[in-house]
Amino acid sequence: MTAEDSLAPPRSLYIHLPFCRRRCAYCDFAIAVSGPDLQDRYLDALLAELRLVTRTSPAAEPLQTVHLGGGTPSLLGPERLERLIEAVAAGFSLAEGCEFTLEANPEEVTPAVTREWACLGITRASLGIQSLSDPTLRWLGRGHDAELGLSALGWLRESGIRQVSCDLIFAIPGQSTAAFLDGLDRVLRFQPDHLSCYELTLEPGTTTRRLVDSGRYPQVAEAVALEQLRSARARLLAAGLIRYEVSNYSRPGCESRHNLNYWRGGTYLALGAGSHGFLGGPAASALGLPAGQGVGVRYWHYRDAATYVRVLGQGSSGIRDSEQLDDSQLRLERLALGLRLTEGVEVAEAQLLAASQRLAAHGWLEVEGQRVRATPAGMEILDRLTLELIAA
Amino acid sequence: MGTPTARIRNFSIIAHIDHGKSTLADRLLEATGTVAPREMTEQVLDTMDLERERGITIKAQAVRMPYRAADGLDYELNLIDTPGHVDFAYEVSRALAACEGALLVVDASQGIEAQTLANVYKAMELNLEVVPVINKIDLPQAEPDRVAEEVESVIGIPRERCLLVSARTGEGVGAVLEAVVTQLPAPVGDDNLPLRALIFDCKYDAYRGVVVYVRVFEGRLGAGTQIRMMAGQGTFTVDEVGCFRPGMEEVPELAAGEVGYLIASIRNVRDSKVGDTITEAQRPATQALPGYRQASPMVWAGLFPVDSDDYPDLKEALDRLQLNDAALVFEAETSAALGFGFRCGFLGLLHMEIVQERLEREFDLELITTAPSVAYRVNLRDGQQMEIDNPDQLPDPSQVISIEEPRVKLEVVTPREYLGGIMELCQERRGEFRHLEYQVGDRALLTYDLPLGEIIHDFYDQLKSRSRGYASMDYELAGYRAEQLVKLDVLVAGNSVDALSTIVHRGQAQGQGKRLVRRMKEVIPRQLFEVALQAAVGGKVVARETIPALRKDVLAKCYGGDITRKRKLLEKQREGKQRMKRVGSVEIPQEAFMAVLTIDR
Repeated sequence: MTAEDSLAPPRSLYIHLPFCRRRCAYCDFAIAVSGPDLQDRYLDALLAELRLVTRTSPAAEPLQTVHLGGGTPSLLGPERLERLIEAVAAGFSLAEGCEFTLEANPEEVTPAVTREWACLGITRASLGIQSLSDPTLRWLGRGHDAELGLSALGWLRESGIRQVSCDLIFAIPGQSTAAFLDGLDRVLRFQPDHLSCYELTLEPGTTTRRLVDSGRYPQVAEAVALEQLRSARARLLAAGLIRYEVSNYSRPGCESRHNLNYWRGGTYLALGAGSHGFLGGPAASALGLPAGQGVGVRYWHYRDAATYVRVLGQGSSGIRDSEQLDDSQLRLERLALGLRLTEGVEVAEAQLLAASQRLAAHGWLEVEGQRVRATPAGMEILDRLTLELIAA
Repeated sequence: MGTPTARIRNFSIIAHIDHGKSTLADRLLEATGTVAPREMTEQVLDTMDLERERGITIKAQAVRMPYRAADGLDYELNLIDTPGHVDFAYEVSRALAACEGALLVVDASQGIEAQTLANVYKAMELNLEVVPVINKIDLPQAEPDRVAEEVESVIGIPRERCLLVSARTGEGVGAVLEAVVTQLPAPVGDDNLPLRALIFDCKYDAYRGVVVYVRVFEGRLGAGTQIRMMAGQGTFTVDEVGCFRPGMEEVPELAAGEVGYLIASIRNVRDSKVGDTITEAQRPATQALPGYRQASPMVWAGLFPVDSDDYPDLKEALDRLQLNDAALVFEAETSAALGFGFRCGFLGLLHMEIVQERLEREFDLELITTAPSVAYRVNLRDGQQMEIDNPDQLPDPSQVISIEEPRVKLEVVTPREYLGGIMELCQERRGEFRHLEYQVGDRALLTYDLPLGEIIHDFYDQLKSRSRGYASMDYELAGYRAEQLVKLDVLVAGNSVDALSTIVHRGQAQGQGKRLVRRMKEVIPRQLFEVALQAAVGGKVVARETIPALRKDVLAKCYGGDITRKRKLLEKQREGKQRMKRVGSVEIPQEAFMAVLTIDR
């Protein structure tokens, strides 16, 4: 993909639904713990922004992917969800076979509700199972147990929603490798199409970070985290789920197209509090964002849901700020993001290729023509390899 | 005509840091109307930003205050404000030499500190009349009686003569001015003798050249006078003389007994050396004023630009700093690890920090400073002696008979309860006990003889931490002595890094090597490969650490909202990486070159 291609008019839409029943112990996301009242006002604001966007920049291209992320989008309830989906369908044209993803937590999943989601046009569900050990789920501050997680997965599989993905976390303080792998096996029995397997990141300001920093829970040893990662990769491969990104595995053809677009450097629209969008110059100008020639523009919204609602109430777009990326910044991003993918990234600069060859000699990268990709060993130290390349 | 000599008083203020010297000076300026209250800024005399920030005086100042005393007569009071740090001990002695008297300011809640004592002794050696001022009497924890008793027993000035003052509230300030007039002697000196004027400081002014601070002892000095520096030998014609009120103000002449400045188209501060005597070129004095010595650096370190393109800028910046700082010396140096830079000599660690900070602040340079070293004398087999200020210059051991290191006489004043810890510290630093004297109250004066190299690192910090901040110190050079000294090299991934070599005592080489490589392991980030860190003496490894290879470094989640943050992090990391120095295939951050300074003993 060339630079111009990737700055084409957006064909992906991200919508942020920040509500959660509670904040999980490891979460530093833009979420809001609040009741139905704010949800209604938030939805009104969101739809107002949607209308604003579709009015100022009538979508030139049909959307290939729509992603409802959170927070906990499943908290929205079928009626509000219907309102939202109808508004999306009315404001944008959806391409044939558009991937329409809903993130869900097990607490909201019932056999009935999953069928409603399927009817509303959800084609892909991403379920936050996270762990299959009850003590670990409590430690993470999750609101469900292992049994409910698995039940929810089963109901989703039978709901008619085409693709089902789930999230699992590894390298959790206090959890053994055996316990983690046992949970993974139990999930694999449901034959998910897609699985995201994240190493727990101890973000500043989170409860988990404090618990570890204070010494009340041990830091997971590097060797243990690597063992869990490598074992998981092997088991997932045996189950037909192939790693296509640092933390993502899928049956062939079931990759998250929405996320692939991020990693391939594509453009996307964003709506809602805390959401980030990325557009080429013309599309950004249409939204009223400053944009020079040939630049990419990243923009983001007010993080706080109540602020977002207030700002939209005043008729403004909810966008807090934006930045223009010049060619070298765009190339840097494309390299950093593209290397996260197993397929790798096309590299044109001779200097970068030479540096890639040097790292390839140690087995961390593979270079084929202009395509550079990280090997499994390279994926484990990918951020450092990227730094080596950009500083070369 | 100026003020009659009998009505001139030249004095300085001797005080420990934080005992209120600058505040008292401010009050004197106010009380005499030299500075109007609305023009008052804190610490009027400390003009450099660095001085105000650190609460210290680096350059001496001289200010002339008109004062009508209780006797109804008008006096001219010259206050010479002196630097307050041990690095500048020589400058202090010259400023004191320009005076007939000194105010000894002591904090009513603390007592006399080591450096204050050292300066009082200096003042007494110079026959200055000392008036004790007990300051901060308004503080609830003030103990003026105890402090007065200490002044009497330690210095021998009767306790009744102590003035009780609060510079903060202004209480007692009038009595200080009266004491200056009544207790301090007027200068004596003949206007008609050949000129002898003492240089006690100078500063460089971009428009006027060097402004020389002088005290005239004999003769007269005015515009047109042809002067000669008796030690420096330069000859100049005076363009202007004047005094500070506190700004520069031209006067027709400076006569015997007066303090002021002269400007004479002097382009370089090196031509007006502190302590030198100015005389008339046509009618020279036969003998210079006593006490001059060449200021010599005690501490040496390499300064290298982080970005090698900044080398010419660093040279220019050093040239410009040197215009105003005669004590700063430097010469070009090349390091295999750090590239082109300068070996610089400083009066002490504070002086080094000041120069470093000014280079970074005023000239916007980013620097790597190597571990400071002292100058060693190396006796060679061929009978020659060479002086080295850089461990890397040490010749092959086969050519060396012995290495001598500079030693100092260290004086510490401390409350008795901390004596044990401080003596332990001195022993650890190869000190030899000389003397212990108990003073009034609970204080003690401790004298040690120890190597200068042992106190230039973190000795002062250690002294403070082992005495909860109560101990104070002063030192002076006390000759050289041959010791079992060796060069400790550091090897990174098998490559010796010249800028990391240090000279240490043989008995300490292993311990120091261990601490050094351990500290370096902390500051060098993990690399793609395992990196061996070794400390070696003469090719024999005495300590080793291994930085394991990086095994895991990857962001778990990187979605649409994470990209900006990730890119900014990468950009920042790239910048940091480009600032690191490469030794072989290993990237070493700046801090590593200062590791020797930050190790815990």
